[in-house]
Amino acid sequence: MNRFVEQLAANDVAELGMPGSLLAGPTAAMAGPTGHGLSFELAAGNNPAEFAQHFIDAKSEKDSLIKIAHGTTTLAFKFREGVMVATDSRATSGNVIASQTVKKVIEINPYLLGTMAGGAADCSFWERVLGMECRLHELRNKKRISVAAASKLLANLVYRYKGMGLSMGTMVAGWDEKGPGLYYVDSDGQRLANDIFSVGSGSTFAYGVLDSHYRYDMDIEEARDVARRAIYHATHRDAYSGGVVRMYLVQRDGWVPYPLEDVGDLYYQYHPEVQLTNRTESPLTVVPA
Amino acid sequence: MLSSITQAPVEAHSHNRWEPYVDNGGTSLAIAGADFVIIAADTRQSDGYSINTRYDPKAFELSNKTVIATTGYAADAKRLVEVMEQKAQSYFHKHERVMSTPAMAQLLSNTLYYKRFFPYYVFPILAGLDSQGKGAVFTYDPVGNMERTVYVACGSASALVQPFLDNQVGFANQRAADPNRLLDRETARKIAIDAFTGATERDIYTGDWLEIFTIDQTGVHREKRELKRD
Amino acid sequence: MSIMQYNGSAIVAMAGKGCVAIAADKRLGQRALTVDTEFQKVFPITDRTYIGLPGLATDVKTLYDRFRMRVNLYKHNEERTIEPKTFSHLVSHMLYERRFGPYFVEPVVAGLDKNDEPYICGMDLIGCINFAKDFIVGGTASDNLYGMCESLWEPELGPEDLFETISQALLNAVDRDALSGWGAVVHIITPEGVITRDLKGRMD
Repeated sequence: MNRFVEQLAANDVAELGMPGSLLAGPTAAMAGPTGHGLSFELAAGNNPAEFAQHFIDAKSEKDSLIKIAHGTTTLAFKFREGVMVATDSRATSGNVIASQTVKKVIEINPYLLGTMAGGAADCSFWERVLGMECRLHELRNKKRISVAAASKLLANLVYRYKGMGLSMGTMVAGWDEKGPGLYYVDSDGQRLANDIFSVGSGSTFAYGVLDSHYRYDMDIEEARDVARRAIYHATHRDAYSGGVVRMYLVQRDGWVPYPLEDVGDLYYQYHPEVQLTNRTESPLTVVPA
Repeated sequence: MLSSITQAPVEAHSHNRWEPYVDNGGTSLAIAGADFVIIAADTRQSDGYSINTRYDPKAFELSNKTVIATTGYAADAKRLVEVMEQKAQSYFHKHERVMSTPAMAQLLSNTLYYKRFFPYYVFPILAGLDSQGKGAVFTYDPVGNMERTVYVACGSASALVQPFLDNQVGFANQRAADPNRLLDRETARKIAIDAFTGATERDIYTGDWLEIFTIDQTGVHREKRELKRD
Repeated sequence: MSIMQYNGSAIVAMAGKGCVAIAADKRLGQRALTVDTEFQKVFPITDRTYIGLPGLATDVKTLYDRFRMRVNLYKHNEERTIEPKTFSHLVSHMLYERRFGPYFVEPVVAGLDKNDEPYICGMDLIGCINFAKDFIVGGTASDNLYGMCESLWEPELGPEDLFETISQALLNAVDRDALSGWGAVVHIITPEGVITRDLKGRMD
């Protein structure tokens, strides 16, 4: 058991770092690591971490009461021109498709992007906090934060809550003094740097396409094609990925989004030979009994 | 209700775990238009096969341009609405103006997330007019993941209603239609009523009364209709 | 996850005026992984009786083979074609024979009887028949299909209107279910014959 859970298990009231908590008694408060006063209400009892993990199915592993929107394909890769980031747009809760229009690319600021995989609320909340931290860094230091520092800030932010059931698999992409930056950060505290990443239930399919078609010296159109095909193939084979392909390119001047491409149309573009008989326009053809 | 108190809880939950959540059912939906938004919810509150009450409203005005509707656990929903009402009031008095719908939407998201480790078991939707006067609908999961959409169905009959709205409001699988066309007020209202009539047939947790709120420049208008009571 | 959701499926049958329709998606998956997008789930039993088998794919194949054998035996013994109602009771009986080790399939039967009257029914996995005058749904998208059918279906639909209604019901239902879809097939059974059409759907 980690430090945080031990503290909570030892005391009914746990206060970490923040003096004068608003919550008392069986609920406990905890402060954000940077002291900006984030406080989360906890369940009563001597093991709120276990409570949270029992009732909240952040990883879609069990049939819990509270199902968190889940299932994803996201990818990002560095190449000659910058960093390409692409995602699908499906959110599922159990087997129900909760949304086909999710924004899984989070615009942290004009030159930093985060991607969303795992618990949607966890990703968007903590990357919103990260956006605030990055702005504070700019104000304090009179220069933009590096991608390395930003990603580490996020990793440290969520590491504080390890064992509490946060679910987040994100890629932080951006451009700084050193050029293009790409990091993978997850809620277990893992932080990695590499040229290619893919995260989510459809990532294995996306990696298949990326590994066979990726080259560092691609031009922008080639990179877009690889990213589009990787997401498309993942949405085709993975039941929990789908919707539209959302793509961003990060370059020296920041990121630019590309128009959305509906996966429902892409299949028929990639398979022009699929011409089904008996379309609605065609007259009824009766097979004699 | 009484029997559940007198019965030994051990029988119901053999592992003797603290069970702080109940699903009280109910369905809500919202449809946005160019200069209005409709948000509707049934009023049945049930626990298993029993109906606790036939009239427990789920939709509430947070301001003269924003309405929230919550399904899920009625106690958590009630508390959440109280918290949001209080925050909306306090904002109004502090800043001497009504909080905008998008601001209210972000506030609701944060309010839900601050209970990330002991969530409200609720499926809220928020509807109102945005700063340009356009209809806006926001949907949430229990821990505050937020998305702005044009229409949505939530709650116990959401699986029944959502594909119908996809088809009739989002024009899904209608090749000739423009998917971005917005509905006029009367059509949207009729579709909302049809959706609930259909849902009430098959979902035992939905029925009794339907409350429809229409929000436009002139404010919030409420309509109450009968649904099947079986 | 229940074994009924292992492969994913969506099947719907609707009654019209002097015609019936049965439609199914084409996906075969293993939980989240889509394996086949041309999997047959609706089978002709006679010239005017069809059966849809939503549920576990291995049982779909086994059951269809067993139904075929029993229907052929019926034809030889009785020297006539089996009626949809009779066939439904045969299916029900065969499912109940496995009461304590069931096939994981919830069949949907659609057909025209000898008077050209529509007959549709559904069953649970141990053969309890659910007869309906309007529509029958089954599979992982059944809730979605109930919602669509409840609002789109109306009585006395002709073959062309019935086709449009059942197609819209199925396509919009599977678009909100992660485990079914990937194309669909519709059969309209009329006294003159059967119209079969493939539907283009979202392949995600």
